[in-house]
Amino acid sequence: MTKWRALALLLGLCTSALAAMAGVPAPYAPTVTLPTGTPQRFEFDLTTALRRARREHKRLYVYLGADDCAYCRKYEAFLQRNAMELAPHFAKDYLVVDLRSSLSVQADRLYIRVGEKALPYADFQRSIGDERARLLVYPSVWLLDANAKPLMQMPAGTGTFETVPEQLEILRLEQ
Amino acid sequence: MRSTSPSRRFALQGLGALALAPSSVWPAVGGLPSATHDAWSPEWQQLSERLFPGRQLVAGQGTVQLIAPLRAAYGASVPVKVVSKLPQRPELHVRKLYLVVDKNPSPLAAVLDLSTEVGQADFETRLRVDEYSHVRVVSELSNGELHTDARYVKTSGGCTAPPNRDALHLIGRTQVKVAGELRMNEPTAADVTVVHPNDTGFELNQVTVMYIPPHFVRSINVSFAQRKVFDAELDFSVSENPTLRFNFVPHGRGELRAEVTDSKDAHFVGTLAIG
Repeated sequence: MTKWRALALLLGLCTSALAAMAGVPAPYAPTVTLPTGTPQRFEFDLTTALRRARREHKRLYVYLGADDCAYCRKYEAFLQRNAMELAPHFAKDYLVVDLRSSLSVQADRLYIRVGEKALPYADFQRSIGDERARLLVYPSVWLLDANAKPLMQMPAGTGTFETVPEQLEILRLEQ
Repeated sequence: MRSTSPSRRFALQGLGALALAPSSVWPAVGGLPSATHDAWSPEWQQLSERLFPGRQLVAGQGTVQLIAPLRAAYGASVPVKVVSKLPQRPELHVRKLYLVVDKNPSPLAAVLDLSTEVGQADFETRLRVDEYSHVRVVSELSNGELHTDARYVKTSGGCTAPPNRDALHLIGRTQVKVAGELRMNEPTAADVTVVHPNDTGFELNQVTVMYIPPHFVRSINVSFAQRKVFDAELDFSVSENPTLRFNFVPHGRGELRAEVTDSKDAHFVGTLAIG
């Protein structure tokens, strides 16, 4: 094995390790949801999570991240850094659902399923009255009640709630 | 067709330059909780002195209220609503409304010059908000009083977001429509929408990596039955495809007419027959 091949292998392993680390940190007890139907489409099923939310009288904090997305890592690192302070606030009212996607998956290939109906991203957004139908941004967060109804209009991206007070604003549904 | 006066253009340019001036004294506002309605900012201190020199502004929601979300879906399209608490009567009415985004490259987003024909001086539109900033309305009454209200909006990138290029061939198409029930002799809500990119000059063409030159709607003048309802002077702080929801009082049959001029001096017209 040449040293360049070894280096490439090492880089690949590092990338895989980083990808494996991607996602909402463990202290938030996320329900990791992997897509089905790949690679033609990335379909995420919220049905089970919604059923559980109804049973436990909780809301859903749905996080859509991508394994190769720097802004996702930034938000996840923020969550990790502040887990001691934030995780109890999440746990009080929310079930965290972690949808694992990839930057190459754009709106036409991303599907959200609720019960019998699976809709492509823009149609799903329109169906729940979310204004972010025009553009899919990674990462994205939805705050949903147990019937998949948005609790408030969320911004594209997570850049406006990457401080503890702002994350708490979001959890408190301050508008 | 009326055009923007050179003095106003000069004022707008001056305000734009003012906002772009470095401000090293003040820390970034990002991360603060939502501001109260009378919140102050260093940008507003300077802007208000330029716009209303020596005049007192009354803060509060007794006369005018601004409704805007703390966070919007996209910074390039933040919905704002102005609610006036007094009816448009000849003896006392709202003469002008100013919409300001403190931290935008060009903070004065719109100046609406109203007649009593609006009936009720409520307006809705969408604004670009480039960074965490106060968004303000100033209501100038016919007796000269100035009333103001503000909301703090947390968003970013409103002036640099990639523009929507799907409908370039439709630029200038101006649509006027009644937004609800048509009520004779009462304020009736209507919308005017202009298909227009409203380019700010700060957007990057992702293919050429060149900045897209500014190209935006500069004025929308609305009349009913040849009587002025309002004249709006606008800036690129208004979102693409500028839309204004307003009121007018139909007294009978007539034409609701919107005359539009953009920054390349192109003129567009939209009309709607009423009655």
